[in-house]
Amino acid sequence: MNEVLRRLARAGQDLLVRKDGPYTRELLQAPAKFGLGRVPERSLPDATTTMICGFCSTGCALEILLKDGKAIGLKPTAEYPVNLGMACPKGWEALTPLAAPGRATTPLIKKNGSLAPASWEDALGEMVTRFKAIKERYGPESIAWLGTGQMPTEELAFLGALGKFGMGIVHGDGNTRQCMATSAVAYKQAFGFDAPPFTYKDFEESDVIVLVGSNLCIAHPIMWERICKNQNRPTIIVIDPRKTETAMAASLHYDVRPKGDLALFYGVARELIQNGWIDRDYIAAHTSGFDEFAAHVDGFTLERTAAESGIAASAIRTLARIIHEGKRVSFWWTMGVNQSHQGVRTAQALIALSLMTKNIGRPGTGPNSITGQCNAMGSRIFSNTTNLLGGRDFTNETDRKDVAALLGIEESLIPSQPSLAYDQILEGVLSGKIKGLWVIATNPAHSWINQSYFHDIVKRLECLVVQDMYQDTETARLADIVLPAAGWGEKEGTFINSERRIGVIKRVCHAPGQALADFHIFQLVAEAWGSGHLFRDWTSPEAVFQILKRLSKGRPCDFSGIEDYAEIDRRGGIQWPLPQGAVLEEDERRLFADGCYYTPDARAKFLFAEPRGLPEPTTPDYPLLLLTGRGSSSQWHTQTRTKRSAVLRRLAPSELYVEVSTSDARALGIRPNQVVSVASQRATIQARAFVTQSVKPGQVFIPMHYEVMNKLTFAAFDPFSRQPAYKACAVRVGPVES
Amino acid sequence: MTVAEAACAVLPAAAPSKADQKRKLPLLPVAALLKQQQTLTAVERFAKLHESPDAPLHEKYYRDLIPLERPKPGEQYAFEVDLDLCTGCKACVAGCHAQNGLDEDEIWRTVGLLHGGSANAPAQQTVTTSCHHCLEPACMHGCPTKAYEKDPITGIVRHLDDQCFGCQYCTLMCPYDAPKYSKSRGIVRKCDMCSGRLAHGEAPACVEACPNGAIAIKVVERAEVVEASNARQFLPGAPSPDHTLPSTRYKSNKVMPANMLPADFYVTRPEHSHPPLVVMLTLTQLSVGAFGLTLAAERLSPATLGSPLAQTVFACAIAVLALGASVFHLGRPLLAWRAVLGLRTSWLSREALVFGLFAQLAVLYGALTAMPLLPPFPFDSLLAGFAPSIRAAAALAGVLGVFCSVMVYVVTRREQWSAAQTVVKFFGTTLLLGAASVLVVTAFTGSSAGFGSLAVKALIFTILAATFVKLAVEGRTLLMARDLRQTALKRMAVVMLGELRAATVVRFALAIAGGLLLPGLWAYGSVRPADPRLFTVTVLLLLAGSEFLERYLFFRAAPASHMPGGLK
Repeated sequence: MNEVLRRLARAGQDLLVRKDGPYTRELLQAPAKFGLGRVPERSLPDATTTMICGFCSTGCALEILLKDGKAIGLKPTAEYPVNLGMACPKGWEALTPLAAPGRATTPLIKKNGSLAPASWEDALGEMVTRFKAIKERYGPESIAWLGTGQMPTEELAFLGALGKFGMGIVHGDGNTRQCMATSAVAYKQAFGFDAPPFTYKDFEESDVIVLVGSNLCIAHPIMWERICKNQNRPTIIVIDPRKTETAMAASLHYDVRPKGDLALFYGVARELIQNGWIDRDYIAAHTSGFDEFAAHVDGFTLERTAAESGIAASAIRTLARIIHEGKRVSFWWTMGVNQSHQGVRTAQALIALSLMTKNIGRPGTGPNSITGQCNAMGSRIFSNTTNLLGGRDFTNETDRKDVAALLGIEESLIPSQPSLAYDQILEGVLSGKIKGLWVIATNPAHSWINQSYFHDIVKRLECLVVQDMYQDTETARLADIVLPAAGWGEKEGTFINSERRIGVIKRVCHAPGQALADFHIFQLVAEAWGSGHLFRDWTSPEAVFQILKRLSKGRPCDFSGIEDYAEIDRRGGIQWPLPQGAVLEEDERRLFADGCYYTPDARAKFLFAEPRGLPEPTTPDYPLLLLTGRGSSSQWHTQTRTKRSAVLRRLAPSELYVEVSTSDARALGIRPNQVVSVASQRATIQARAFVTQSVKPGQVFIPMHYEVMNKLTFAAFDPFSRQPAYKACAVRVGPVES
Repeated sequence: MTVAEAACAVLPAAAPSKADQKRKLPLLPVAALLKQQQTLTAVERFAKLHESPDAPLHEKYYRDLIPLERPKPGEQYAFEVDLDLCTGCKACVAGCHAQNGLDEDEIWRTVGLLHGGSANAPAQQTVTTSCHHCLEPACMHGCPTKAYEKDPITGIVRHLDDQCFGCQYCTLMCPYDAPKYSKSRGIVRKCDMCSGRLAHGEAPACVEACPNGAIAIKVVERAEVVEASNARQFLPGAPSPDHTLPSTRYKSNKVMPANMLPADFYVTRPEHSHPPLVVMLTLTQLSVGAFGLTLAAERLSPATLGSPLAQTVFACAIAVLALGASVFHLGRPLLAWRAVLGLRTSWLSREALVFGLFAQLAVLYGALTAMPLLPPFPFDSLLAGFAPSIRAAAALAGVLGVFCSVMVYVVTRREQWSAAQTVVKFFGTTLLLGAASVLVVTAFTGSSAGFGSLAVKALIFTILAATFVKLAVEGRTLLMARDLRQTALKRMAVVMLGELRAATVVRFALAIAGGLLLPGLWAYGSVRPADPRLFTVTVLLLLAGSEFLERYLFFRAAPASHMPGGLK
């Protein structure tokens, strides 16, 4: 009887307060096996596989949760030497943009001013016919391509080989020009090869970490994670005009004047030399050009350096002393250095500081470039644009012969000159030399410096082909022909990350509609162009990987010792070099332990130049300096993918904003959160004012992810790397609404 | 040969289209490649089917971030955020979203930014935040359906998703904006500190996802939380902790400058307008006003207000309409009956109960008033004798109901909804709309002689006075736009004069026309309206429109308090 009553009472309570039901069960979690821990019950995987994230060059591994072979979710891989179980928001959301609206699902051809669906045969036929006609009428230099650092190496190599050897295109470049061209050139000139020497483990092993123009916390949160794991209580020095998140977390912040960094490093070098805080033995044994360098920096007295860098003399001395007292000093730079009119020489100043203090080739040291795109390095070595395949030289006959033999093609098919750089290709379009442009997986209509100019450029083309995942990017909308591409997660290949680690990406999602992997598109273009016979061995990405191994053999980037994709997968990525026969003992390796460099005399070079003033200094009409950079960790470049994730959108400001210093805001009558106009000599845009102390008076900051921003920037370039100097131009800011 | 290559090899190439043949292009293997593109081979080629152990591999990263033991009596679990390690990457938000399987645009955690300092020493601090699992959860106390429970051992404030009927009152009650409404489901959902994971020795998703280990779960003494909260020790820029006693602890070894402000401090955006609530509040007040003022005015000059039955029927009809409208506010209207479960703590439950009572009593009184129209039946005179007391009870319930409405908003502690503001607004509406509708019914059912009565004069005066007081209070709020202090009322004024300017202008115009000009002309002017029906209906419509807008602004221009936000 009691039991009955109790049951009745419980039934009554259940009727009134329901603690369980469909909504409650919706959020239930269950143990997922595969070491994943608990996951939502409705997305329990039946298998998992590891692949490398397709956003930045950190190269994190993501564990893809699979059900019936298809991805149903992901979690950062716990056992991977790069990210140690973590990911930034972009990584967590990596699968979302694939299913978003806006995907290109069928080829499109522009008819009567608007893009209409077409078959692959017709679209490729149209492309080939028009490109061939242009080439016939205007000559071989009249077609060009603009590629990317977002595609796997196998596709980049295919595009480069197809473009140059198959289609006879002379000029091709990638959006990597906007990102790491400066580092590539700096390393190549100094070390004889584009060889970033570090491994991420160095973040954990340094006792002094110098970050230059690098907002690691926001741009590369997983690298900051590695710094957090450093047990040596390192002194962290951030050199950046802004008080960034990273500058806040650092031990010391050097709020250097924009582009005053080169003078600062020369001043520090002089201080080190004057105090005898350098390693003369190492310099003598393994470097060249030191005396000239020393003579050059001798002019950078504390007074001069302080005046040019905006850093007080005492602080310059402190910096030199910290570098001297550090046992393992590492220098890291990102876009603050790369996107500069004197970026190559600035990077080389950091290389010089490393060399003269022997902070290289040892754990926790190095002049280390942190780059942007997931396959920036694959592009550097194999895109066949600036360099011939495998980091070779187009102008070198031996290199051309090698490649011809390795690929089994006629040597005459290989051009004896490198491509024009990105800006020169666009210049070529403007001057009417280039009439056909093939844009692959990049969005220059948003990202190119001084953007209005790009739109003018496109109008002068006779044929613009855009190959992209999305048919609604700013660039795809301008196209004559759109080729629908499969994205990351829908195709296979390998990426090479910033620390030279090769990792695999896999096909774990169905591409929408008729979309094809870029690899397959290149196969089709090769056939359609009539050069399919050159690529008979290029049957799959993994087959191409074997070709790339051959191309790398004997080069500094030799990875011929890697068996296949399965081995890379099993080992958690493999860094180059790994020559055939070498035994892989350590999974976090660095270069130059032996002091031997890739230059002909095996010595690293000191390279330097006189600092030059800002390309566009401020004037009374344009009195403020505009800085640009990463806005938030949830935004990637032009937001082609990140804007398609609702979560990532919510984690970033929805409106364009401009950071204005408190004192400038007061002087200009700008209230917090007010709409203001930002004008450069090229355009005027509107943005909301974020009045903050984190930018210095005289400077303003705008994040790079919003389309209008690049209407303002000034087209200046580093003379060696041709990388655009996005970071500084003169503007005027004023209130708009009352 | 891989599976993909095999698939490619067996398939014949696609037949070329006519266009192809015209161009003399080679055969393109489009169909084969499309087929290959759709073949997913990762499992056969790479999948780690049985290699990994069943135990979570991430355990080694979060081992030190979760407590070893369950809380003892007087203790509970709490988030602890090490601000020195929070650098704004927001992986916690994305990790929470993915690991909890939330909807595409649903997030239970946010990352804000504090900034300040001086030009020489700028400072900023990112802040990760979610539910604080308070000791006095305002969400739980406000919930009319008992859809919240605070676990007696862990102290985790859990939301019972299947109990919730989607009134969203908890989203107004929580000062930290933790509960989130899920429109597709019609219920609220929120962080439960991943109680399921914790119970199995796994870290909550955010703890596990933070690359820097900035978030930890700690066992805290409840008494310490009370002490810290009463001392207002929490986080600069955050709503004061002395209301709900949040258990989250923010720690830092740095000294924050005193002038740290949230990045969104000067951002004021309109809030949700809750249309069914606008209708419900305005109409219940009209109904209570009409019912009560009929009673009062009859005392002043009996038999001058037309048909008493018509007056009652009108008030009842509006009451039923209002209660009907309130149901539309619910995400799951069929569960409306649950509204009274939270009577012990929730003013919303009380409001629902009391208005229900008011409507029933008013309808009963209406039925008794209608009895003379029916053929005589036994005990009819006895029943009629109850009528005055039922009427008084109904009027009392109505006034109590409006009081409950006031309290529903006052207890949220939003400054814009302070007792003074809300009492004037709600009782003001009750008086002026009540008076206007009594006049309309009088004009339609009474004689023109009655129109000169003291009762009617009093009603007109009520409209004038109530409108004047309400506009004075709102006008004073608008003046706050020039206040140097960024108070809640200033925020309200900024929104009313900014994005909601049109609504504000119309609100004032209608109120001045219908509440001051027309009644003023009538009462003190020499001109008498030719057609009292048209005249009173015009006044009522103008005032009703203006009061709907007032209530719309009441919701939309009341920026909610929340944890420090980022740039918007």
